[in-house]
Amino acid sequence: MRFRTATLALFVFLLVPGACVRKPAPAVAKTPAAAKTPVAPPPLRYEVRLGKVTFTHYCQTCHGESGAGDGFNAFNLDPHPRDLSDPQFQKKKSDAELADAIQRGGAGVGLSALMPPWGHTLSAGQIDELVLYLRTLPTLRKPAS
Amino acid sequence: MPLRRLFAASSVLFLLVLAISPAKNAFRSYRSLQRQFRKLGSSRAHSLKAAQGYETRPVAIQQIWLRDFENRVDRCTTCHLGVADPLMAGAPRPFDLHPGTPHTPGGFDRFGCTSCHGGQGLATTQGDAHGSTADAGPPMTPPVFIESGCGRCHLSESVDGAPVLSRGRTLIARAGCYACHAVRGQDAFRSEAPPLATLPVKTGGEWVKRWLKDPKSIDPNATMPNFHLTDQAIDELSHFLFAAQVPKELASRIETAGAEPAGSSANGKKLVSESRCITCHTVEGKGKGTAPELSKIASTASRGWLLAFLREPQAFNPRTPMPRYHFSEAESRDVVAFLEDEFRDFDAPKGILEPLRVNQTLAENGRKLFRLYGCFSCHDPAGSGSEKFGPELDGIGDKRAQSLDFGRRTDLVRTLPAWLAAKLESPRSFADGLKMPSYGFSADDSRAVTTALLALGAQSVPDRYRYAPPRKPALLPGGPVGGLIQSYRCLSCHEIGDRGADVSTAPLTYEGSKVKRDWLVDYLMLSYTLRPILEERMPVLKMPREDATQLADALQNFYLDPSIPEDPFAARPASDADPVEGQRLYVGLGCRGCHILGSSGGYYGPPLTEAGKRLKPGWTYAWLKGPQRWRADVRCPDYGLSDTDALRLTAYLETLGPAASSAKSESAARGVR
Repeated sequence: MRFRTATLALFVFLLVPGACVRKPAPAVAKTPAAAKTPVAPPPLRYEVRLGKVTFTHYCQTCHGESGAGDGFNAFNLDPHPRDLSDPQFQKKKSDAELADAIQRGGAGVGLSALMPPWGHTLSAGQIDELVLYLRTLPTLRKPAS
Repeated sequence: MPLRRLFAASSVLFLLVLAISPAKNAFRSYRSLQRQFRKLGSSRAHSLKAAQGYETRPVAIQQIWLRDFENRVDRCTTCHLGVADPLMAGAPRPFDLHPGTPHTPGGFDRFGCTSCHGGQGLATTQGDAHGSTADAGPPMTPPVFIESGCGRCHLSESVDGAPVLSRGRTLIARAGCYACHAVRGQDAFRSEAPPLATLPVKTGGEWVKRWLKDPKSIDPNATMPNFHLTDQAIDELSHFLFAAQVPKELASRIETAGAEPAGSSANGKKLVSESRCITCHTVEGKGKGTAPELSKIASTASRGWLLAFLREPQAFNPRTPMPRYHFSEAESRDVVAFLEDEFRDFDAPKGILEPLRVNQTLAENGRKLFRLYGCFSCHDPAGSGSEKFGPELDGIGDKRAQSLDFGRRTDLVRTLPAWLAAKLESPRSFADGLKMPSYGFSADDSRAVTTALLALGAQSVPDRYRYAPPRKPALLPGGPVGGLIQSYRCLSCHEIGDRGADVSTAPLTYEGSKVKRDWLVDYLMLSYTLRPILEERMPVLKMPREDATQLADALQNFYLDPSIPEDPFAARPASDADPVEGQRLYVGLGCRGCHILGSSGGYYGPPLTEAGKRLKPGWTYAWLKGPQRWRADVRCPDYGLSDTDALRLTAYLETLGPAASSAKSESAARGVR
């Protein structure tokens, strides 16, 4: 009798800590309300977003918001700025070539001097970010109407 | 015997229990991750030695210990093994390389991880570290709000490389949050809300009621939020506002002005367009400024008030950013006549500007409401004492979600950012009796404000980590010149040192080294468009010649930069060939892409047709040697010009413009000498 009670006691003793083990918390984020949070996921990666800031500030006036070469200063320029969102053009140029043209400008790579060299203004890192952003332009391109 | 058996069984059980702890450690997920990383590294390594380096990495907890930064211990690199490893660019999480930021990859040892990302640095399981388990500490900052991490150390309103945070801080200041909520370092904040003493002689009872109902419906630029008042509360508050004691002097000014004859609307139209009101104001939403919308202004304020205000705005609101225009008496009548003809609300009821007959009982109730809703925080900060109306916001970014009152908002995810966003969107939805008004932020603005709020930690970071941009001394003279700068509100648009606003592209800090005096006097008297692409332009202030001369002389004498040479040709006299060479450079560099010269050129930078009349050669040279030194975000590219080329281009630009002949002969004379 005594043995049984002792075994039982031991068993209960072991059960107690077992029962106290933490259960995984219910996943809060999976409630239906989660879908309605005002916070949208960032569409672009961090470096690409930085590249976009640089593009908007320095390039957009001539190359246009979508990079199509239709910025509002574009019509003052002859030759017109390049359509950067053209997938054919993007395919032809490597990242290094794009970065080089930004750095040394049109005159530096044998094209029009109206594209200024940005190598003394932007850091190498900023130019790399810019190239990353340029690569997203064809995907944002609207179908020709 | 049974006792011995029992003893044996319990010993075995005891051993098993003892073994759990080391076994748990052996099966921790970071160990298998580290073994995966070894394989990944050796497969990506370029040399055998490097591959061996990866293979022999010990499996152990990694940590960054920041003794001088709140004694932080960040063990994130136990799993995020490739954050500083260029070979891991594009690798799968958690092994990928950290994106390049101002502090990475160089700053991991100094800044750790949690200082920007939040979360629990000490933890060694993903759930605990990221804060996704129920009893973990505050969770990581969601990536959309990541710039809040910058704001913990970078305390200035505008932070380079953190546009969302900067925008959030600007919005908070503009919305006047600091008027009700205490925040470290914002004790000196004063709302720009106008004093209310002249309200009874400015507008009518019906207008005030409409305004109180929803300020933004009357003026989309209104900074005053919507207090969601009941009709009764609106009535009582209106009576209180109309019971105010109007200062006698101003009341009589408004009365006399109201009795003046009407002016010529046609001339007023001309004056309004040349005064560039839309630099600060909007007209039917056109314009980038945030000053009151003008399209219904004549149904907002009485004729007498408009006239008296236009003649001396600063007498009505000492904190107004509006400059004093030197219109003649007749001209100001013309301007107001035009406003009354064109800029009125044609749908408004006739009596919208009729004053309210005050009922003392209602006014007394209104007085209580004025206190109850904290209106004094913005409209009468002097009378409010030192106690802030709302709860302090320091530490809001460190609040744990469990300690927040979600009240009725059971629909929300229980996180701090979700709570803050909901609080900004509809502050009264959490419980009854809340007083915070709603500001109508757009989704983007709300995200920016939330970012800025999340940056408000309970403790300020150690001095070594705190960063504020170096102060630029601001020279603000007193006396008559100081009076002119005040009266024309130069600082509403221009920067002087670190004072003033950044509306104009031309800070006045070194204006004297930049432009020629005679041009400046003419420009102050009759300003014209320098940068056609900008909507913000210098208004024609109708400055009398003596004011213009006095201001120009002060700018020429005080606002100088010693690093801009008075005469750039001192060391190397200009030759006759220089302007010719300079012109060749002008064409070769493609300057015409942005600058108008003569009849052609781009619409980006200022026209250079009269460069020689406007700019001092020393400035032109200093600018060409590095435009970004003078304005960090200027788009004019730095061409990395040599001294000789910069001087040649300077010599060419000096020859441009009607006044160039004298400058040319001067520089030629210098060349001969």
